[in-house]
Amino acid sequence: MRRVRRPAPAMLLAVALLAAAALPLPAAPQLPVPAKIVLGNGLTVYHLRNAAVPLVSFQMFIGGAGSAAEPAAAEGVADLTAALLTKGTSKMDANAVAEALDFMGASFGVGAAEEYAQVYGDSLALHFPRLLEIAAAALTDPAFSGEEFEKERALRIDGLKAAKDDPGSAVRLYFQKAYFGAHPMGRLASGTEATLAKMTVQTVKDFYRARYRPDRAIAAVVGDIDAAALKPLLERTLGRLARPAGPAPAAAIPALPRPSGRKLVLIDKPDATQAYFVLGGPGYAMGDGITAAASAMNTLFGGRFTSWLNTELRIKRGLTYGARSSASNWAAGGITTISSYTKNDKIGEMLDIVFDLLKKAAGGFGAEETESARNYILGQFPPTLETNGRKAAAYVRLAFYRRGFDEYDKYLAEIARLDPAALKAAAARLLPRNDYVLVVVGKAAEIRPLLAKYGDWQEKKIGDAGF
Amino acid sequence: MRKRAGLVAAALPLLALSLGAALTKEDIKVHSLANGLKVLLVEDHNIPSVALYTFFRVGSRNERPGLTGVSHFIEHMMFNGTPAAGPGEFDRRMEFRGGSNNAYTGDDFTAYTDWFPPAALEAMIAMEADRIQGLAFVPEVFESERGVIASERRLGVDNDNDALLSETVRATAIMAHPYHWDVIGWMSDILSWRRDEVMAYYRTYYAPNNAVLVVAGDIDPAATMALIEKYYGPVKSSPPPPPVTTVEPPQIGPKAVLMRKEAQAPSFIAVWHGPSVKDPDYLPLAVLAKPLLEGESSRLYRRLVRDEELAISVFGGIQETIDPQLFTIYVKPRPGADLDRIEKVLEEELAKVRTAGITPPEFDKALNIIRTRFYQGLQTVAGRANQLGAAEILYGDYARLFTIMDDYAAVKIDRVREAAAKYLVEANRTVGRLVPEGGAK
Repeated sequence: MRRVRRPAPAMLLAVALLAAAALPLPAAPQLPVPAKIVLGNGLTVYHLRNAAVPLVSFQMFIGGAGSAAEPAAAEGVADLTAALLTKGTSKMDANAVAEALDFMGASFGVGAAEEYAQVYGDSLALHFPRLLEIAAAALTDPAFSGEEFEKERALRIDGLKAAKDDPGSAVRLYFQKAYFGAHPMGRLASGTEATLAKMTVQTVKDFYRARYRPDRAIAAVVGDIDAAALKPLLERTLGRLARPAGPAPAAAIPALPRPSGRKLVLIDKPDATQAYFVLGGPGYAMGDGITAAASAMNTLFGGRFTSWLNTELRIKRGLTYGARSSASNWAAGGITTISSYTKNDKIGEMLDIVFDLLKKAAGGFGAEETESARNYILGQFPPTLETNGRKAAAYVRLAFYRRGFDEYDKYLAEIARLDPAALKAAAARLLPRNDYVLVVVGKAAEIRPLLAKYGDWQEKKIGDAGF
Repeated sequence: MRKRAGLVAAALPLLALSLGAALTKEDIKVHSLANGLKVLLVEDHNIPSVALYTFFRVGSRNERPGLTGVSHFIEHMMFNGTPAAGPGEFDRRMEFRGGSNNAYTGDDFTAYTDWFPPAALEAMIAMEADRIQGLAFVPEVFESERGVIASERRLGVDNDNDALLSETVRATAIMAHPYHWDVIGWMSDILSWRRDEVMAYYRTYYAPNNAVLVVAGDIDPAATMALIEKYYGPVKSSPPPPPVTTVEPPQIGPKAVLMRKEAQAPSFIAVWHGPSVKDPDYLPLAVLAKPLLEGESSRLYRRLVRDEELAISVFGGIQETIDPQLFTIYVKPRPGADLDRIEKVLEEELAKVRTAGITPPEFDKALNIIRTRFYQGLQTVAGRANQLGAAEILYGDYARLFTIMDDYAAVKIDRVREAAAKYLVEANRTVGRLVPEGGAK
């Protein structure tokens, strides 16, 4: 492969608002307006029929059921709860559920993001009713058996240990902890060995009871199924999610922390032949007016192959296979991160270049570059909504963040109008200069001397418990 | 069980009909230029986007010691300048026009994948035609890109224990055929490729008669073909590349690999020599891989991950390659897991399929999984371009895409057992273990 691996599709969708997309702006909306179906229990489901291929995709967000809603002592319970929903109901054990899904060649899963739990499913149109029945049983009638809890917990603890063998992934977990600390956004979806060890199946049951509520959920179905067939199917499946007795628990997440000065963390991995870094500072919230300008600025700084970062670190110097910057956005705020990796003895040279580029970006971007960023975003947008699954995820995401379904049209229209001044303002606000968190994973004996000039480093060993 | 089998029986005709609705053989416009370039065009106006995929019949299969990894290196150098366009110009011009690209190299072929708005079509065809007529190989750029590849190898192999073990197991199982080495190549070769050798390799394999061009999406086929004639027509063909003649000798006893390295968790891989993609045994083994390895209901997931809690994950299967490759089972053991026990469980499960094969519901499940994946792959303009090109290279005929699902459905269930008994046997096996240094075995 020539490029750095892109984020997994789910991640791409998470950043679709700011990431992607046609030179002339198309007249048709990017996202067709879906039909809105409200079920007896209050659950809203958006529907779009697409008969081009005999497949159907399903997506659902359950607000407040994500990792940021976890009690600190139960870090990891949101994703563990999500996983256990697929491990058996009162009528089918975990093996029967897996057998039924695999038999259809269907995919079905539940996972926890920070602000919501996400449910997804894909199948042949023929199998879709069966898939939705299984999904509804999982969501409304989970077994939460002690045996499955123990299995899943053990699997996660082992997975956390094994994750440390992959420095590229591990550095992101260390960064999340270093940046957010005790803030709810610092909860690792995986949990930690310590919090998982203390959890009981009751912790999971309590989280499920408090957090899986139809009044906080939004769903979408896109594919080869018409409304006449879908409505009764939805009523007898997702319509069974019980209306909650009381009001939803407070969902507000406190303002995100802002680093003051430099926080430097070095993780010693003695066998590493490459050093991996993540540097981050404050970003912007979902729906912020800066979204389009930020997206274009990031495209030029570190968001595409010819970006400044990739040009200096990879194309000109061959220091790395890839370097990038990206934005993560939530309702409560966001972060900007910059990341790459290089041979241990080159990490100082690499970081110096990164800091130089951050300084240079404060001076802004040229007119031709700005035009290139506009064209790139406009041209790359259409494929991001091409499949049923992408459309379904876009519907629930926009509805969840209370954006209209014309959001992408407005976003692209704004992109088309961007000038260099808008990008310069975005760089000044969003690229870290003096206040940031920097985490490096590498062979400390070799890289410690190269890092000393940046300040005082907190040091940990990769084998130490936790992140 | 009967009810489930019923589901499948009903699924088949629907699929056949709808495959027709999504994409039919008649939707593909096929042309061959006088210089040997094969062109496949698929018109689809669903989104204002074009996928232009170029496939060259060159991969690690065509390499030799000292030049391992060079196919992949040329994939990188294809973006680093021609006499007409300086280093980096391809990407700069493409991104300026709203396009992006990637590329990948495998054992058998190298693919260049471009996605762009329709207005960029002529510029893209011109740039693609330019870079098959000679690359600049500017010495400084050559050295810088060597560093990029070294970083890619460190990232993908040297700092990834599973990949490091996989490379060693492959090189142990396959001793003569060039599939012996991984696509990335050995580090010492990466650090010593010579410019003249790399240029000679490029000239041998980058020619219109060794390529397939697929353009799918928001295009007018006639106008597109006129552009292709204009830019590719004048390109000269080359002498046919030398055939790969090495045949892997039969393995006549089990092999084992043991690596010791600092790690939190061990790694475990088992491989068996398998058939080529055109061999009649290929489809039965591809079917077997599903109930054996795919999904949480699969036999090996059930035993290794769920029941005995020996592993974090298990996956694998047979690869689609021109020459015989390996049937692979990757197990990610839990930290401290008993690797002997993992090997024993594997052998027990394989003994069952060698003697009893798979059950009819498992066979139906395999077909459902294969069909769903196939369909998902055809959902996008880019997916269609990729599948058509790969089929043309691997099978010598893109139209294979329109019959392969029928061929899967026609596999006799007994053939699955026979294929397991023929290939997944001890004498044909190589097992690899990576054991954390000083830690659990």
